[in-house]
Amino acid sequence: MRELLAEYAAGTLDPARRSQVEAHLATCADCRADLAGWLRLAAAAGPPADPPPASELVYRVMVRSALAEPTPARSPGRFSLALVLAEARLLRIPVLVASALVLALTVALAATQTAAPDGWSGDILALVAPVVAAIGISGVYGPQRDPAFEVVAATPTAARLILLVRIALVFGYDLALVMAASGVVTAVGADAAGVPALIVAWLGPMALLSALCLLLTVWVGPDIAIGAVLTLWALRVLAGNVLADVTGLVKFLHVVWSTSPATGSATAVLVLAAVVLAGRGEPIRRSRATHLP
Amino acid sequence: MMAADIGVGVGDAVRRDWRSRVGPVHHVRGRPGAEAASDDADAALLALVAQGDSGALTRLYEAHASRLFGYLLRLAGDRMTAEEILQDTMLAVWRSAGSYTGGSRVTTWLYGVARRQAYNRLRTTPPPVAAEPVDLPDHAPGPDELALAAAGGTPVAVAIGQLPAHHREVIGLVFVAGLPLADVAEILDIPVGTVKSRLHHARAALVQLLASQGVPE
Repeated sequence: MRELLAEYAAGTLDPARRSQVEAHLATCADCRADLAGWLRLAAAAGPPADPPPASELVYRVMVRSALAEPTPARSPGRFSLALVLAEARLLRIPVLVASALVLALTVALAATQTAAPDGWSGDILALVAPVVAAIGISGVYGPQRDPAFEVVAATPTAARLILLVRIALVFGYDLALVMAASGVVTAVGADAAGVPALIVAWLGPMALLSALCLLLTVWVGPDIAIGAVLTLWALRVLAGNVLADVTGLVKFLHVVWSTSPATGSATAVLVLAAVVLAGRGEPIRRSRATHLP
Repeated sequence: MMAADIGVGVGDAVRRDWRSRVGPVHHVRGRPGAEAASDDADAALLALVAQGDSGALTRLYEAHASRLFGYLLRLAGDRMTAEEILQDTMLAVWRSAGSYTGGSRVTTWLYGVARRQAYNRLRTTPPPVAAEPVDLPDHAPGPDELALAAAGGTPVAVAIGQLPAHHREVIGLVFVAGLPLADVAEILDIPVGTVKSRLHHARAALVQLLASQGVPE
């Protein structure tokens, strides 16, 4: 019964409960005392002060509503879509076309090797795809490659979010291209191992090399990044021919450039480092933040 | 002693004459039918507000203003801030009336909006400068007390104003706005049991505050 006394004092009980409480109060001195306390509190808390007149307040609200900039009601889904579309428009068409052309050429080259019994024609795709993807990734960040760098920096959208969207767009595009290329190579019978084996051959190296290129791009800029990535990849290519005798190096490169949980984790760490780095001020070794002379 | 009066201790006058004290309680929620009808009316008004009818906003304001303002006054502590929050609230209602889905009563939705606006504004308002110690050695009424007394404030009302925000809030919702505990629970997003215990804690804190100040009857 005591539980209800506060509500009784506030006047918010329904009639049935109210008469129940009243009946009890007639017989219970303790509850009467308790109620007196609540009533005292209620009396001190209330009554409500008189609010500003409606006409005045509504007028002010209307004025504020008219003067204030309309706040865009943005739903997360619509915003994401708009962001992806906006970033897609910033992708440079020549780079996309060049990527497609290089891969088309690779497929054509692989198709001419149909007769090769050792499945070398599949390897050529695995050698080209990572470089194409990595060079594509080098264009996603920084004033040297991004003509909208300053405009984007002035928008309220976080630089890291924009970077992630661009990575997804560029890498997704390259991934789709290489997938299609793998399909074609297998379909024309140039590679006997089948599509899954072919994907395993290029997926890990492509992701790792792209992630490395991304980190270097964010850190020291795209030119050095491309140089470093090409050098590293050249080592990998040469390991099959000129450096084939250096067995330690060949074994090491074989582990590094493979599709495995370890290389996947390394890729994730590199991307994370790049994204974290992208949110921090200016990159090192960059004299100015703009690409203009 | 007033402190004893709010607590469970009881004076003879109260024992003799509880009915006369219970008398003036307004049982505003006495008629469930009327309540449902006013809910429907509120929802209809809100739908008009969503279409840009400022007259409907005026009527909605008139229906709720005094109790809503009473709550905000308790929460904010001074009239000017409470008026600003009230204005913020009506602006938010004007802008977001379309987002009301009918999932809760208009009243609880409205108080929820007001509460958010209050916390937005009170968060950005710097806390009052701690220039004077809480326990004044001198019990003479300061300027605040005099101002409140002039405005009809009692020592108990002054003491309520000194309670922590979550205590003032629950007192404002239950006793000033006169909302059922279920609605209060929904607005504060806590279980009804927690509302009850918070209310009891608020009262205990008030009793303690009054006792520590030695407020005379």
